[in-house]
Amino acid sequence: MSALGHYLEEEGIATVAISLIRPQTEKTRPPRALWVPFQLGRPFGPPGEPGFQRGVVLAALRLLECKAGPVIIEDFPDDDPREKADPSWLPPPLLTVPANHAPAALASRLDVEIPTLAPSHRRWIAADGRTTVGLSGLPMPELGDYVGEWLRGREPPSPRSGFSPILQLRFAADDLKAYYLEAGAGGLARPSSRQLGDWFWSSTAAGAALIVLRDALLASANDRVKLIAGNFLVPGSYVPSTARPGTIAATSMGPWQPGQ
Amino acid sequence: MVRLADLPPAQAQRLAAFDCPKFTTEPWVTGPPLSRRRVAIVSSAGLLVRGGVPFRGRDPDYHTIPPGTRPEDLLISHVSINFDRTGFQEDWNVVFPIDRLNELAAEGTIGLVADTHYSFMGAAEPDLIEPHARELAGHLRHDEVDAVLLAPV
Repeated sequence: MSALGHYLEEEGIATVAISLIRPQTEKTRPPRALWVPFQLGRPFGPPGEPGFQRGVVLAALRLLECKAGPVIIEDFPDDDPREKADPSWLPPPLLTVPANHAPAALASRLDVEIPTLAPSHRRWIAADGRTTVGLSGLPMPELGDYVGEWLRGREPPSPRSGFSPILQLRFAADDLKAYYLEAGAGGLARPSSRQLGDWFWSSTAAGAALIVLRDALLASANDRVKLIAGNFLVPGSYVPSTARPGTIAATSMGPWQPGQ
Repeated sequence: MVRLADLPPAQAQRLAAFDCPKFTTEPWVTGPPLSRRRVAIVSSAGLLVRGGVPFRGRDPDYHTIPPGTRPEDLLISHVSINFDRTGFQEDWNVVFPIDRLNELAAEGTIGLVADTHYSFMGAAEPDLIEPHARELAGHLRHDEVDAVLLAPV
């Protein structure tokens, strides 16, 4: 992000960057930056808090009128109030508990769990007006089937022209997570991202399935499959310590570093 | 929160030690007061309009977010899975604060909001992004944008 500030400003366009990781911004030294103390993924603060977001946007834009540069890095003072857990939140009910972590068993549980969450997901869409499911281009029943085929040890053909099967699995996993996390937030409570993430990765068949699938695909002879499975299915903070060791680097795509 | 002191020591050390691009120049463009600026958002969240081709990996080019894009149209295809997406799922302004910019323009705090906005994918190599960024600057100038809000994820 800070590099973009250099390039655009050299072309005559004034910029101000939001900074999520201050030491990285201090190294790159963009023309102007506002560091914010929010979690990665929330550069403008909490959802559903327009007044707070306005404060962030305005604090950043005001740096365009500051004459103290080049290189201004200021700090936004307030924390994100939505990072706190909501004790009133209850996860949606699931019919099954993912006690059996055999891949084929998880695939079967996924077949049941996805439709079980459909009412919660419909509530989410009714309240929020949108869904962020859509990267894979697969509707939800077929999406579960596609992940299930991988769990059963088969590499299904990609249903999308121009996308390899493993790349399509990555997008299907992103969609699966979006569906669950939206369904999990589909009530009146305002759960934190940690609450939703902990529920997905520790209590759902989908979370268990992605962890098992990652581990299985890391044994693949295909480096591309290992690369995507190792880096882009399960967040590092939710990879079990007993799983195969993590990050797989490749010359064409190294592991992502946050804040970029 | 991303305060390094609040993170596990190993993760904090890794983030602080991350090899970032270094620049020998310090470009600095001034302009009119905010109330006369035309502002565009340039995100690095890997945003795309539904139905478009997602960023596949570390693609260094950018996607256009055209006028009239609605919240239900915008998706994130950033390659990383190590950041929160639930905020964006609930409210696109968490990543793409277009409603806040429109409000600031309506009250006269900023001049105008650009018609078109853009997104890169932040995991791309900066030196590969550079030619695309310079090309983008031409589009921004053509749209008379004189202020860019750079939004990471």
